[in-house]
Amino acid sequence: MAQALVEAVDLCKYFKTPKGLLHAVENVNFRIQEGKTLGVVGESGCGKSTLGRTVLRLHKATSGKVLYEGKDILSFSRSEMHNVHRNMQMIFQDPYSSLDPRMSIRALIGEPLSGLPRSERLSAAEEKEKVDAIMQMCGLPLHYANMYPHELDGGMRQRVGLARAMVLGPRFIVCDEPVSALDVSIQAQILNLLMDLQDEHKLSYMFITHDLAVVRHISDDIMVMYMGQVVEYAPSHMLFSSPMHPYTVALLNSIPTIDLSRRGRERITIHGEISSPVNPAPGCRFAPRCPYATEECRNEHKLVEVEKGHFAACTKGVK
Amino acid sequence: MSENLLEVKDLHVQYNTDDAVVYALNGVSLNLKEGEKLGLVGETGAGKTTLALSVLRLLPKVGQIASGSISYKGEELLDKPESYMLGLRGRRVSMIFQDPMTSLNPVKSVGDQIREVLDLHFPQLTKEAKNEKVDQMLQLVGIPASRKNEFPHQFSGGMKQRVVIAMALISQPELLLADEPTTALDVTIQAQIMALMGQLKDRFNTAVLLITHDLGLVAEFCDTVAVIYSGCIVESGTVEDIFSGKNNHPYTKGLIGCIPDLSKDEDRLHPIPGHMADARTLPSGCPFADRCANAMDKCRKERPEAFSEGTHTVFCHLFDNMRGGV
Amino acid sequence: MKKRVKKPLSEYSTGELVLYRFRKNKLAMLGVAMFLFVTLMILIAPLIRPYDMVVKQNIADRLQGPSSQYLFGTDELGRDLFSRILYGGRISLFCSLAIIAIAFVSGALIGGAAGFFGGKVDTVLMRIVDMLMSVPSALLAMAIITALGNGVWKLVLALSIGQIPRFARMVRSSVITLRNMEYVEAARCFGISSMKIMLKHILPNGIGPIIVSATLTLGAVILSISSMGYLGLGVASPTPEWGTIISENKVNIQYYPYLGIFPGICIMLTVMAVNFIGDGLRDAFDPKSKN
Repeated sequence: MAQALVEAVDLCKYFKTPKGLLHAVENVNFRIQEGKTLGVVGESGCGKSTLGRTVLRLHKATSGKVLYEGKDILSFSRSEMHNVHRNMQMIFQDPYSSLDPRMSIRALIGEPLSGLPRSERLSAAEEKEKVDAIMQMCGLPLHYANMYPHELDGGMRQRVGLARAMVLGPRFIVCDEPVSALDVSIQAQILNLLMDLQDEHKLSYMFITHDLAVVRHISDDIMVMYMGQVVEYAPSHMLFSSPMHPYTVALLNSIPTIDLSRRGRERITIHGEISSPVNPAPGCRFAPRCPYATEECRNEHKLVEVEKGHFAACTKGVK
Repeated sequence: MSENLLEVKDLHVQYNTDDAVVYALNGVSLNLKEGEKLGLVGETGAGKTTLALSVLRLLPKVGQIASGSISYKGEELLDKPESYMLGLRGRRVSMIFQDPMTSLNPVKSVGDQIREVLDLHFPQLTKEAKNEKVDQMLQLVGIPASRKNEFPHQFSGGMKQRVVIAMALISQPELLLADEPTTALDVTIQAQIMALMGQLKDRFNTAVLLITHDLGLVAEFCDTVAVIYSGCIVESGTVEDIFSGKNNHPYTKGLIGCIPDLSKDEDRLHPIPGHMADARTLPSGCPFADRCANAMDKCRKERPEAFSEGTHTVFCHLFDNMRGGV
Repeated sequence: MKKRVKKPLSEYSTGELVLYRFRKNKLAMLGVAMFLFVTLMILIAPLIRPYDMVVKQNIADRLQGPSSQYLFGTDELGRDLFSRILYGGRISLFCSLAIIAIAFVSGALIGGAAGFFGGKVDTVLMRIVDMLMSVPSALLAMAIITALGNGVWKLVLALSIGQIPRFARMVRSSVITLRNMEYVEAARCFGISSMKIMLKHILPNGIGPIIVSATLTLGAVILSISSMGYLGLGVASPTPEWGTIISENKVNIQYYPYLGIFPGICIMLTVMAVNFIGDGLRDAFDPKSKN
């Protein structure tokens, strides 16, 4: 198997809280090849954003490894980190709060360049040229350069966010709910742009979202998380055609659709709500809400390769 | 056929801000029958919330109803004194807001907050009767009555929205205005809340105006749909009319095209180019003309007339010939 | 002759935009004018009235109302109030500005460090600030002056220490809010250093309300200089100072109100001017304010 561009090995992130240890991300493994997209799906509080930030070292991992081209970036020293910043970037959910309101669009897009080591800094003219090129690439009209974030609408701001991530020429981008705050018509524009950039630059994405419809569209592989645990991990088409974990099934079933033939479908509504995994009990964390839970669910949680490439922690959801 | 509960006719609403006049609603007409579930679909800034607030006459100070009429059970609301509106709001017409986190008072127990509605609109009830009603209502929305002395922060997001629904429905209103009631919630919770709203609606025969940006939600929950764009209704009809894919307004068609289809593998989505026009200038023609692939000269000059076919109405010049043919 | 070509606003650099917005703000410009006028009068005082007039007592002319000879009238020792106010401004204005500046800078450093680094640094620094705050500021200043001895600069030092806690706390809380903003996290993600984040993101976004509060504190500081003077610490009669002038005349103000009105107006005008300037600065630094 070819070497993955980005790989996580038994990655864990725990937070200390007054109530106990919060297991935000527990033993996560994934591999992302060059030019591919891993979709990470789950509801709020499932640890998907924490996972993205831990991969980029914005949070310090509790244990495990993150490999970029086979090298563990979690063990990098400060001086080696600029390699990480150049190659691994992030797009944030909220295009309103992730841009400093006091900086012009040009300054915002040029900002990542100012973090480069001194030897690689660009001259002012080179920087201007670079920013112009990136703006064009991301579909931002050049006259926006001297405007401020509050003068742009959500879609344009998210393009600025994307331009900022692209300016260093990364190979891997963590997209943390990049379209959730946008209207559907704008959402489609941004998704298409992300896919165009991926094709042109052979980018790899980790696409974090709560929206299964969006994730199916853009992802090659999908990982479903629930309260810090990965419950199912499979190539996109497999996950949608034959979901196995009861949670995945419930999630797929809950999405409202415009397909009127599905209007009266039998619903498996799951009861209760997600809680936070503080000092969690062993076993499957979905068990308290699961209609099929049995005594043994409370003992073990382990991903098993059910068919080639399709991993699931439980197969009770199969009809 | 049941009577129209709410009739909005040619409503124009504008916000007079310091810099400019923002035209939020430009001639919106809407009918809602008793017990009906109407979905009002549109994007940010289309005027969905403005419409709901106009019905309750709760527009912010800068907002002004320029012309039009809103009649509720045959009575013109725009001529009524404020005292009449006070008796209407929360008693006969209730509203649910998007964010359950901020629509509850953090320093009052949820039981007290629900009872407040009764104190206001049913002062004649005894304390015991009120408490009993609160307990019943909490149970109806799926919260054990024993939790009524707890405070909002002790509830999760979905539970808070249940409390808000309990508050809205305890006076058994005839009309519920639900403004993006599930947008802040996760999908599995959204499914629970929508199921709950459906059950309660059937139980009390409340009419629902569901305001949302989510076409899927409307397709699953509502009987009729109105699509709003830039302060104008561009298309309305039953769920079947809209989602069968025949004779849709180009905007509706575009919206449907933007949604990634779960059952199909597609390479690229079909976004609507451009973005919504600035609401500070009143469009002379069709508000969607600038983004529309089928736009003709006429579209930029004349407001399209309604083209109706049974329950289905479209405001688009593309259907002008068809109208002539009948 | 060089003709000035007006370039469109969209081509202005950030600095030019700030200046443009500041100059567009009428109240701020009025503030600047008032402040310049007061400063100018104080600086050229020796040209208007000789220093003699400040201390020269003329019992025959005591408690005279305003006249052409005594523009603002005289006090109970027959000293010219106009001269006393002119020269008194030196201490009132310059000392209070110095006090605010010292307190502002050290408070911002302490609060900024506490907020940005958090954890132990925060705990230690803020407990020190709490200790300072638990002593009434007048008492604290008195203790410091008593320890160091009398003198204008010692007074400045003593009073500024008393003002540090409010700035430190204010800066800390706004830094904590801003530190958790997504755009700061984004900057980290680009590998921008902490120092740069502090200077480019946190400082410009957090400074607005603090500047306004600093300008509002000015009035209180002018008055606290005078209360120190009243206690015989720092500046004492016969050296004039706006607050001191009011307090030394307080017995007579009831019957000769001009003794309180004129120095009062001076304090008020100065505070207002500085406050307008502060408001204007805050708006000028905010790109959301109207162009």
